[in-house]
Amino acid sequence: MTDVSMLSEFDLPEHIDAGLWRRIYRHTRPYRRSMIGLAATGVLMAALDTAFPWLIAALIDGVVDGAPTSSLVWLGGIYAIVVVAAAAVVFAFISFAGQVATGVAHDLRQSGFGRLQELSFSYYDKRPVGWILSRLTSDCMKVSSLMPWVMFDLFWGLSFILMISINMLIMNWVLALAVFSILPLLFGVSFYFQRKLLFSSRMMRRVNSQMTATYSESIAGVRTTKTLVREGSNLGEFQEQSGSMRDWSIRNALQSAVYLPSIVAIGSLGTAIVLWRGGLDLQTESLTIGELFAFLQYVVLFFIPIQDLARRVADLQSAQAAAERLQGLLDTTPDIRDSDAVQVKIDAYRSLHPDAEHGNDGGDGTIETVDFRQVDFWYVEGEPVLLGFDLTLQAGQTVALVGATGGGKSTIANLMCRFYEPSGGGIYINGVEYRDRSLHWLRSNLGVVLQVPHLFSGTIRDNIAYGRAGATEDEVVSAARRSEAIHFIESLPDGWDTQVGEGGSMLSTGQRQLVALARAILADPQIFVMDEATSSVDTETEQQIQRGIESILDGRISVVIAHRLSTVRNADRILVVDGGRIVESGDHASLLAARGRYFQLYTHQFAVA
Amino acid sequence: MAFGALLLSIVFLQLAVVISKVIIDRVLDADQPTEHLMIVGLQADIDRILLMAMGGRDFVSDNLWVPGLAIVLVTLLAGVFTWLRGRWSAMACEGIVVRLRDELYDKLQHLPCSWFDVQDTGDIVQRCTSDVDTVRVFLASQMIELVRGLLLLVLAAPLLIMINVWMALVSLLLVPFILYFSVVFFRKVRIVFRAKDEAEGRMTTTIQENLAGVRVVRAFARQAHEIEQFEDRNTSHRDLDNRLYVLMARFWSLSDLLCMGQKMIVLAVGVVFLLYGYIEIGSLYLFLTMVTMFIWPMQQAGRILADLGRATVAFDRLTEILAVDVETLTEPTGDEPLLDGDIEFDGVTFAHREQSPVLHDVSFVVPQGETLALVGPSGCGKSTIVNLLLRLYDHDTGAITIGGHVVDELARKHVRSRIAVVLQEPFLFSKTLRENISLAHPAAAEHELHEATNAADIHQSILRFEKGYDTPVGERGVTLSGGQRQRIALARALLQSPDILILDDALSAVDTETESTILEALRRRHGNHTTIIIAHRIATLMHADRILVMDEGRIVQSGSHSSLLKEDGLYRRLWNIQVGLEDELRDDAGGLA
Repeated sequence: MTDVSMLSEFDLPEHIDAGLWRRIYRHTRPYRRSMIGLAATGVLMAALDTAFPWLIAALIDGVVDGAPTSSLVWLGGIYAIVVVAAAAVVFAFISFAGQVATGVAHDLRQSGFGRLQELSFSYYDKRPVGWILSRLTSDCMKVSSLMPWVMFDLFWGLSFILMISINMLIMNWVLALAVFSILPLLFGVSFYFQRKLLFSSRMMRRVNSQMTATYSESIAGVRTTKTLVREGSNLGEFQEQSGSMRDWSIRNALQSAVYLPSIVAIGSLGTAIVLWRGGLDLQTESLTIGELFAFLQYVVLFFIPIQDLARRVADLQSAQAAAERLQGLLDTTPDIRDSDAVQVKIDAYRSLHPDAEHGNDGGDGTIETVDFRQVDFWYVEGEPVLLGFDLTLQAGQTVALVGATGGGKSTIANLMCRFYEPSGGGIYINGVEYRDRSLHWLRSNLGVVLQVPHLFSGTIRDNIAYGRAGATEDEVVSAARRSEAIHFIESLPDGWDTQVGEGGSMLSTGQRQLVALARAILADPQIFVMDEATSSVDTETEQQIQRGIESILDGRISVVIAHRLSTVRNADRILVVDGGRIVESGDHASLLAARGRYFQLYTHQFAVA
Repeated sequence: MAFGALLLSIVFLQLAVVISKVIIDRVLDADQPTEHLMIVGLQADIDRILLMAMGGRDFVSDNLWVPGLAIVLVTLLAGVFTWLRGRWSAMACEGIVVRLRDELYDKLQHLPCSWFDVQDTGDIVQRCTSDVDTVRVFLASQMIELVRGLLLLVLAAPLLIMINVWMALVSLLLVPFILYFSVVFFRKVRIVFRAKDEAEGRMTTTIQENLAGVRVVRAFARQAHEIEQFEDRNTSHRDLDNRLYVLMARFWSLSDLLCMGQKMIVLAVGVVFLLYGYIEIGSLYLFLTMVTMFIWPMQQAGRILADLGRATVAFDRLTEILAVDVETLTEPTGDEPLLDGDIEFDGVTFAHREQSPVLHDVSFVVPQGETLALVGPSGCGKSTIVNLLLRLYDHDTGAITIGGHVVDELARKHVRSRIAVVLQEPFLFSKTLRENISLAHPAAAEHELHEATNAADIHQSILRFEKGYDTPVGERGVTLSGGQRQRIALARALLQSPDILILDDALSAVDTETESTILEALRRRHGNHTTIIIAHRIATLMHADRILVMDEGRIVQSGSHSSLLKEDGLYRRLWNIQVGLEDELRDDAGGLA
């Protein structure tokens, strides 16, 4: 059930995948102007940064050579302008970066979210919700906030290094080359340590997430821990994690404690060279004191872009897995979607009827029959759930599916809703294979109520109204009346405006089932699918519900999955499903008379030993 | 120690700058006679001493590599002390943090259940992780950065004053403004940060709900609506985020302006002083370098000062947890009795946190080795009896004894180790199945393990997993059905070989056929222990030696299955609901047969 990308959360790539980053880079296209702005401000900033030591050098040489005061004032004026310009550039590039970072994050999230609305359940089956969520949150943030800074630092860093080098070469090329001799060392040390730091901080994050899980587990399982008297051994296991966290944190701190002083020490090597060789040049007057001054500053400034570049490379490595997963999500094509042929039909219909509702393919609007013909299905290759399954459903009929758990009942419902598609054979609506019809059309005609119904946080009214866009207040109330939900709703202190909580957690399962049922009734579907939809409602209420929806089911297809006898017995046809096949079918009375599986299923519970 | 190392590292770093200055002034720029300059007192002494140390002016002038080497050496020394500082502070800080973490974890395990009842799990986990991390970051980096910035300033100040008082004053001119500006700014933007966090929270919740409700969204074909709603949240988050960027752009550009302005002031005054011969070129170099060294940390310092409140809040939230009272009398002394006697409840009353009582004056006896069944509507107090017996909660009045020993006087851990309980929604740890089953008895032999899993009718199911007993449980492992989890928890309990076995609605998710197999196996292996079964299905509990029927915290009926059937009461009503269906079935079947 796991796939490779899930495990790579904390692994570090060996190389930077240029192809991948190029594709990620494409997402910045709408912000091209800001990206160009970033590059331009980068170069500009480098120029200003180079100008400072040069201006200082000119000033000092001016003083030493006894230049006229007016030229000194001029230089001072230029310096002031450069300071203000630098501040303005800082403002500009952070603003540009903000536009790119927030804009790209927004777009990536939006397209990721849109993609998730299309992906089929097989995608969801393999991935926990939390996992998918972090693709749209942390991965999006990581990738999008990196883009502008890589852009800026690339342009700023490279041009800064270039400009400083040129300036030094012009002032004194021998001294400049002498200073350059420490560059390889600087690059080497920077990249080496950035990679080390990256690794240890990754390990810290990995251990940290393990610790978080352990904390949650200790709280969720507190009773179990207490009853099994596991406090001591749990603490021991936790201490292993917290100990390894400490070790990695210390290692990380030590790495930076070595890294930064090394950089400074290498820098001092530069200063030493300048003082020594430059001092000699000064004595022979091939270098002015101002230039010596500039050299001393350039030597220190040199390190900043090199360190920044090394850090960006590390950032790219660190974000590569995130970028991969995100791009992977965007590139996943849904298994279940309208085929090209169907898309053509929808477009054709829409061009003829501009005000037609979304997804209308011009086919039959009314569903007369649904036919499962020789349907095979498996979630996992080689483990078939259904084999050669046949079933015909007709409008106006209620079909009940019963049988042991795992027998394939819910699968039949899933296939019917086209949440999954048959692995073999086909499902025909009015004789047309349903993959040749619009997906949106089918789903708009479905009303599904599940055993553990999901409600969205919001009021009860919002949740029922979810069933159909644009439903009126009266329709909502009447749906609630039919599902018998109205009694409990009106007995609540906040009535219709009661907040249901996340997932509906503020309501009992039974109440949630009633709200979900009302929602499905409001949708006014041609096909009703109820998968253990009233299992947590008491028997009396359930009978009322059945009376309430009897009139609704008139002329529609309804499929009921249930364990409870009273839910099933009034169905027109009862199918006993076991091992992916229909082992018995008939109405309640005939099945009981047959004394087969159906009879066994319901007598067993009360068998007195 | 770490402080000393920090101090020394800064001193050496600054010494390197001083050496450069001395070389420039005393050796390289020596055309000007030094006498007419106002180089007096300490500064001249320092210059002289440094020159002497390197072999005198003439020697240095001829051998310029010597000061170069000196600078490298001094910087290396600074590096060594920086490293020592890093090492010592990391060890001290991580040591504190690891103790804090362990203490929190241990605390959580010993807090009473009544505390957890009123807490939000997410909040506790957040405290234990991100609040600890806030404290850690404060200790490990922010505090050090703050002290370092301060030391850079404090150590540089006397040196600068020594060289030139006026220049020194000018160098520090904008420092208070930079600090003030940073603090005020970050205080102010805190609101925007919070607003952005909230917007992010709303956006995340929207995604989460959409993912959790994906079936509903699809079933009603409401994708367009969902996308629209998300667009809303996504956009408002982007706008706030972008607003923060603009604010930060404003902050950095303005504070950079102040910092660069400070440097410019030093340069301007320095050049004028240089013109009039008040200072030397090397001193100007020293001033410019020193200002660069301490001015940028001031920006950070302001930010950290503004953030100081967060660390305090985080620390307070942690001490709140650490201050809660833990369960009393937990550790066994070693001479506790076995709990293989009769269980007796005598007039026990219990209420959660001063609410109306959940149990009213409950009295009953379970003779050793017998099976007691509890039945009644949900919320009637069945599980509370189990919780009190396990000493997960402390009852208010009355007495609970096992074999004549008052449980209140027995160590909690001892009581719990002698009682095995299986809950309706059992908790499995993210370990392998084998580890989960043998939690209470890690040294169990393979055959004991299999015996337990066979009795719980889960052995065969486990073998069907690809990795068998070594299959991990949890997100990365296998997804178990409710019934499978219950049966694994049952095996775990059986392996404990307890004095008392409690099944708290423990087989509700197991289908009826499997359930009767398990119950049969339990009856067969039933040794000496006393059993308490809580269930809704009559079939589960009808074979118990005694059945207690509970309603609203009281025992309303008690007796055996057959005697209870004869009484007019809740038990017979429950029975009739289920048997009524059976009769109906018979009628149906009979009528057609």
